[in-house]
Amino acid sequence: MNVWLGAAALLLAAGLGPALWGAVRGAPGRRVVAQNFATLLLCLLFLLLAQGYGRPAYVDLALVVSVLGPAGTLVFARLLLGEEDRDPPGVRWLTPVVVTGTAATVLPLCVVTGPGRATVKLLVIGVLLLAGGVVTTRAVRRG
Amino acid sequence: MSRRLRLGVLAAGLLATAALLAAAFLELPAFGGARHPYGDRAVEASLARHTANTVSAVNFDQRAFDTLGEETILFSAVLGTVVLLRQTRGEHREAPEPASVPPALRRYGLAALPVTLLTGLYVIAHGQLSPGGGFQGGVVVATAFHLLYVAVDYRALERVRPVGLYEIGDAAGEAAYVLLGAGGLLAGAAYLANVLPYGTFGTLASGGTVPLLNAAVGLEVSSAVVVLLAHFLRQALEIEGGGERE
Amino acid sequence: MDDVLVTASLLFVAAAATAAVFNRDPARQAVVLSLLGLGLAVAFTVLQAPDVGLSQLGVGSALTPLMILLTVRKVRKVRRTEKGAGSGPGSGGGKRRR
Repeated sequence: MNVWLGAAALLLAAGLGPALWGAVRGAPGRRVVAQNFATLLLCLLFLLLAQGYGRPAYVDLALVVSVLGPAGTLVFARLLLGEEDRDPPGVRWLTPVVVTGTAATVLPLCVVTGPGRATVKLLVIGVLLLAGGVVTTRAVRRG
Repeated sequence: MSRRLRLGVLAAGLLATAALLAAAFLELPAFGGARHPYGDRAVEASLARHTANTVSAVNFDQRAFDTLGEETILFSAVLGTVVLLRQTRGEHREAPEPASVPPALRRYGLAALPVTLLTGLYVIAHGQLSPGGGFQGGVVVATAFHLLYVAVDYRALERVRPVGLYEIGDAAGEAAYVLLGAGGLLAGAAYLANVLPYGTFGTLASGGTVPLLNAAVGLEVSSAVVVLLAHFLRQALEIEGGGERE
Repeated sequence: MDDVLVTASLLFVAAAATAAVFNRDPARQAVVLSLLGLGLAVAFTVLQAPDVGLSQLGVGSALTPLMILLTVRKVRKVRRTEKGAGSGPGSGGGKRRR
């Protein structure tokens, strides 16, 4: 029982749950926005799990999501979205959520981890999430 | 063999399998329990061979022969797909129109490609130490190249991806696994036996043959996925016609 | 807390899998499948099998959607060609967007 696992459970129920709801109905644009939210939350979830279980090796899962998550969203943006999907609902929330979510998760983790290679890895994941979030927002917005 | 007899044989086989599975299920340790007889032995064996990641020790050392089978499944599946998705008579190829991509997306694609590639290689190289290994890392490496298609343009992908080279890589990875196994025979032990020095626990060179087999699988998987996607992309974007099928 | 995480992730997987079955259009289904894959990765990880979770992530997050969507595009192209076959060669393919 610790605060990191509690936060992970909260993120799973209050973050990934609504993202699934958004991805199962409605127009493709809305679904892809929800999918992008889900990959971001998943990355943060893995970071929290790694800290909560005390297993630094689990951070690798977050690293892989931070590079493959945006790639998946770009696949959908390229092959699923058309002209009619421009500016889908919810897309303007993507960048603010990415920035606040990443900062709120990665910075406390860096503080607990202390200086060293593990912190550099966390910061790299944070930067990848921010870059991926900004770019996928633009790609989805274009339709 | 008549239809009736065949169904009979099938039913007997299914019933026997069901009975065996039910019997095994009754003997399973309870979910979440503390007794793991198989796990304890696997962990002990992997520690004895200086492999920090027990899953890799099981995949590439204790049950390395099973992994050879799995690798061969992927190899033959990709081979079958290549044959099925070839360009047939009556079909022709047309170069797809270039995509218009915003500069920010293009820059992201070009910057994320090396980062993703490096992540994939990292996952392959650390297979004996942390979660991951040849399969997981190989898939990440193959995905990295396709960032060029989703973020830049199909032609940019084609430029870095001579399919023939990756077909050779696919075969070389499969062959390397088989030959590494034969190395065990040459050393006077069993096929795929871990005959190399085990190294220092928790370092990149630990685990004896585990990192080498891991690398062979990584080469095979990344090349196989690139070849597979190359044929999917060619069918979806380039190959036209083919109305006159029988 | 472990039980809460395991239960929550399994519920997520069950919900996503059910939703994937009820979405009949393969292209939209690919989005739901991608979320199902993410949920499975969480489930494997909270059951302490991160290796399997990593495999699921690698295959499910970009590779499977790409293969499904390329297949959908090819099938639609073939259908268009077959429909347009009556009005002369070359009329079928249509303008590809990208």
